[in-house]
Amino acid sequence: MVLPTFQPLRIPRFFAVLVALLLILAAATADAQKKVLRIAFRTAETGFDPQRVFDRYSVGICENIFEPLLTYDYLARPARLVALTAEAIPEPDEGGTRYTFRIKPGIYFADDPVFKGRKRELVAKDFEYMVKRFRDPKNRSPYEWLFENKLIGLDELTEKAKKSGTFDYDAHVPGIEVRGKYVITFKLKEADYNFLYVMAMPNVVPMPREVVEAYAADTHAHPVGTGPFILKEWVRRSKIVLERNPYHRGYELETRYADPTDPWDRKVMDELRGKRLPALDRVEISPIEDEQPRYLAFLNKEHDILDETPFSFIHQVLPNGKLSKALEKEHMNVFPELQPEITYDVFNIDDKVLGGQENPVGGYSPERVALRRAMVLAHDRDQEIAIIRKNQALPAQTPVPPGVVGYDPALHSTEQDPDPARAKALLDMFGYVDRDGDGWREAPDGRPLVIQYKYNIGGQEARQLAELWAKSMKAVGIRLEATAVQFADLLNDKRVGNFEVAGSAWIADYPDAQNFLQLLYGPNTNQSNESRFRLAEYDRLYEKSLGFPDGEERNKLYREMNRLLLAYAPWRLGVHRIFNHLQYPWVKGYKKHPILYTNFKYLDIDVPAQQLASK
Amino acid sequence: MTAYVIRRLWQMIPTIAGVILLIFFLFNWVGGDPAQVLAGKISNPEQIANIRKQLGVDQPYWYQLWVFVQQVFTFDFGRSWSTNEEVSRILLTRVGPTLTIMIPVLIIETSLAVLFAIMVAYVRGSLTDRGIMITCTVAMSVSFLVYIIVFQWLFGFILGWFPVQGWSESFWKNLTTYAPLPIMLAVFVGLAPQLRLYRSFFLDEINQDYVRTARAKGLSEKKVMLKHVLRNALIPILTNIGISLPGIFVGSFLLEVFFSIPGLGREIITAVNRSDFPVIKAVTVYLAVITMIINLLVDVMYKYVDPRVSFK
Amino acid sequence: MSAVLTNPALPPVRESPGLWSLAWRRLRQDAVGMVSLVVVAIFIAMMAGSYFGLIAKDWNKEKGVSYANPSFLAGSENLEARSMGAKDAAAKAPPVDLSDVDPLAPRYKEWEERAAKIAVTETKRSEVLPFGGDKWGRDVLQKAIKGSEVSIFVGLSAALLATLIGTMLGAAAGYWGGWANDLLEWVYNVFTSIPYILLILAFAAVAATSGKFGKGILPIVLILSLTGWTGIYRLMRAEYIKHSNREYVKAAQAIGASNWSRMFGHILPNVSHVSLVQLSQHVVGFIKAEVILSFLGFGVPVDMVSWGTMLAEAQNELVIGKWWQLFAAGASMAILVTAFSLLTDSLRDALDPKLK
Repeated sequence: MVLPTFQPLRIPRFFAVLVALLLILAAATADAQKKVLRIAFRTAETGFDPQRVFDRYSVGICENIFEPLLTYDYLARPARLVALTAEAIPEPDEGGTRYTFRIKPGIYFADDPVFKGRKRELVAKDFEYMVKRFRDPKNRSPYEWLFENKLIGLDELTEKAKKSGTFDYDAHVPGIEVRGKYVITFKLKEADYNFLYVMAMPNVVPMPREVVEAYAADTHAHPVGTGPFILKEWVRRSKIVLERNPYHRGYELETRYADPTDPWDRKVMDELRGKRLPALDRVEISPIEDEQPRYLAFLNKEHDILDETPFSFIHQVLPNGKLSKALEKEHMNVFPELQPEITYDVFNIDDKVLGGQENPVGGYSPERVALRRAMVLAHDRDQEIAIIRKNQALPAQTPVPPGVVGYDPALHSTEQDPDPARAKALLDMFGYVDRDGDGWREAPDGRPLVIQYKYNIGGQEARQLAELWAKSMKAVGIRLEATAVQFADLLNDKRVGNFEVAGSAWIADYPDAQNFLQLLYGPNTNQSNESRFRLAEYDRLYEKSLGFPDGEERNKLYREMNRLLLAYAPWRLGVHRIFNHLQYPWVKGYKKHPILYTNFKYLDIDVPAQQLASK
Repeated sequence: MTAYVIRRLWQMIPTIAGVILLIFFLFNWVGGDPAQVLAGKISNPEQIANIRKQLGVDQPYWYQLWVFVQQVFTFDFGRSWSTNEEVSRILLTRVGPTLTIMIPVLIIETSLAVLFAIMVAYVRGSLTDRGIMITCTVAMSVSFLVYIIVFQWLFGFILGWFPVQGWSESFWKNLTTYAPLPIMLAVFVGLAPQLRLYRSFFLDEINQDYVRTARAKGLSEKKVMLKHVLRNALIPILTNIGISLPGIFVGSFLLEVFFSIPGLGREIITAVNRSDFPVIKAVTVYLAVITMIINLLVDVMYKYVDPRVSFK
Repeated sequence: MSAVLTNPALPPVRESPGLWSLAWRRLRQDAVGMVSLVVVAIFIAMMAGSYFGLIAKDWNKEKGVSYANPSFLAGSENLEARSMGAKDAAAKAPPVDLSDVDPLAPRYKEWEERAAKIAVTETKRSEVLPFGGDKWGRDVLQKAIKGSEVSIFVGLSAALLATLIGTMLGAAAGYWGGWANDLLEWVYNVFTSIPYILLILAFAAVAATSGKFGKGILPIVLILSLTGWTGIYRLMRAEYIKHSNREYVKAAQAIGASNWSRMFGHILPNVSHVSLVQLSQHVVGFIKAEVILSFLGFGVPVDMVSWGTMLAEAQNELVIGKWWQLFAAGASMAILVTAFSLLTDSLRDALDPKLK
């Protein structure tokens, strides 16, 4: 029997074509399915060498390219440390002077030609090299202070380097002990219960020594880390592109510390369940410093997230605190965040400013304290919050913001609430009266009283704050002269005490009250203590508090310290700002973290929805 | 002619020296301390001193000036203090976007200005002429800042014809998507003064004797305008373009700031704010040299084109 | 017979009209020029009135709510003002006691008594202002008037100073020639080789840092004039070169006039029309430059207002629908600058009719 001949050539060809078409389709849709997050940064970055940057956006990028030993749990509030490249969070040994970290084996750096095709594992020695890089004078690391006067033997090495001109990276430091491949112990000169926070900072991360030495001239452009993203493209101050590191071991969302009653936590857990993180393939970042273009670009759907909605537009976005109708139609999500930060005004407490002139607001005598307290009472903080901050701020009761360990919610005072009547009474009482009838009060000894307020050139906000100061003081008869100063000069002036009153701000480096209270510690004058506040009792209490971990003892000491601050008024405490972060509905897994700068690792994109909207 | 060129080149040296001195005095001597900007949140005087040492600003002034002079001659200004990028690379990469905006602006603006100026010169003295001139004046009286704010809001946001801001890697995409709105803005604002200027050039020519002769010979007005007046007016027009050429390298910093264009103008502002001396020095010296060379070329070309002018 | 010769009646000798009266006559016939003159005069009158406190005296007073609507838009929604009213009324913990650490504690009682006696005056803020309010609730119309005083003053003084500098230097270079000319040409080349914004920024930075430029509006005036004299210098130098070789100057030398007298007594009146036109043009240019300087933050201090500071404030107001400050400052500036420019044109035409 003759069977019908099967045409052998046709079917394979048909299938070949079909398979080819499918492959092409898959490739096309795979490309189309790429999850790309587009976002704008408020200020331009400087670079990505973790030991050489300090601005938040450079550090934010480092957060994604590198991994510190510890990090913070994504969902836990208040912020909670968890282990990342370390196996576990070490317990402080020997009264808080010894910390031993065990590094997880099998963590690898991203590929780089320097490794010559081999996989480079993360080892303990990398962390020793990292600490040394912080103290190398050539790096002029802005975070050198983290390791200054901290580890045994390290300061001496830096001194030697300053004299000889090169840092001896191979010298042994008694304060850093490496045992085997994965174990490193840090030995501190004094107890520090906040040392673990240092190890969680996103720029306290290692760069392999070979990489640093190979790219010595431009380490900023060659960040090689163990993190989930790599730097794909970088056009300085114009565009940053991160892409998922395909060889990264991946994460899964930790839900142990989540709050099931919090709608954001529930949303995040739903959206990221079972997913291997990071879910994003690509992040495209553009720095846009001006508010209007950044805001309009977001509304035009050129970006997916608007970090920190500019205050100028807040009433259009959130009229009366609720999302506007236009944005509701878009199903926009808004995350209000009370950042662990404080904006405040500093009084220079020294008797004289740099240069020898008399400082009318300085001093600890009742007279001078009265002047400062009166100025604080006269300042119209309500207008500051309503008009300049657009109601997106809480009045500060202490230098420590809510949400930070050691914050005292029960501490409240009326000494910083605006009250022109009390201000005038206080001024009258201590002899600050207008004797010559020119409309301005003189000092008690009869000399003219002119107080100088310095602020930054260029920013509209700084100018408005200066306007507010001038008119608040005018309302009680104090003559305040506002002077605009260049950015670099104002930084210098505040550091060396060449000012009388100036504005300032501080955001938490780590979520502990100590990070804020150290701003008024006497010995920190010429560094972070811009006010040059040197009150013996305050310093005594501060030093005592360093010996305690968080707890009732420490809180009692902090309360005493806060009372002294309210009495002597080295600061006008100011506000804690509330930032509103907007995301389009196709951005999944979003929850703003108080300490971490970015959350790219935990985000996902609903690509069809994003593409539909961008049409 | 060669002697003239050589003499001019020789004269550039004292000017460059003057530029170096002036910039050095203004920035190194009196300007802000860059170490403050680079120092970070917490740093003590030792750390700041260290930064100053690394940057080289702790040296005595005469030494820093000497370094500056050397840099000018080797054309190597080192690296930016804030980004650590090589200064030459910074300049090269920033010039591109600025020129992508400014060259089309120059071409479009000049063509339109010449076109309108001829038309207006044709009807000189009439109500149209007066009306257009007054419109130009009014247009010129509104601040550039106002134009930018309104245009960005209107065309970018309300009408959505263009993206509100941005820049990309692809030259073509830049030219077709991101550049049109800034270019349109710059042309709109720059057209009025150019139009007035070119109109005055044309009128200067029209009042010359040879024009009257040409008309007497019976040439049509159109021929008179296009064949004779235009050609002769081209001399001051080209001179004017030549004078404005150095300006296109700096571009408009307002446009670059508002539209997030990574150009040279914006770079200058950032560098001054951060007291980034290497960038400031490099930009100033390069632009000064370019300006002088372009001026020289314009003068030479001018003397070729207008044989009445002699080399002095 | 004797004939008495009487002089034939000669027509009375008329003084030949000088440059200025001729110019004035021509200007009078220029309709556009006269209108511009009137407008400029109105602005100057406004400026004087504002300076002496006759109008816009209370520009700084916060009469209205934040972003008060203009009267022709009364009734439209003002979200900013409404939010101001909502104060945080949350119950708080009792205030902490400071009496054991407070240096002021001994006088607490006296303090309380005094404070109770001080009256607190709360002025009612209006919902609506004639042309709207700014963020503090200040009247935009009054701000615009006060702002024009400051801006015009800055423009005029900077232009005067720049013209003074440019004319003096131009006269020196054009008249003396020689090494004076070479030196000044060198300075001119250096200044014009540096890009204008860089020069302005550099001077502005120096002004801010060193504080040696003075306070108030003096820094701006100095910055603008020290960077803007070059154009005037160029023209005046050309004029002086032209005139120095003229007969009348040689004649003056012959009768013993000193160099100084020749430069400023003889030549200057003949070239003053050029410097006047330059002055006028530079007033316009400097008014516009002040806006840019204010935008960059180098503007007038916080207790003053100018068109520049108003426009800088108005940057972000258009997007939220508050257009009146942008319009008020932009329009008043446009009107003055247009009038001034047209006046300059007419002045130039009147002074040198060949240019028409």
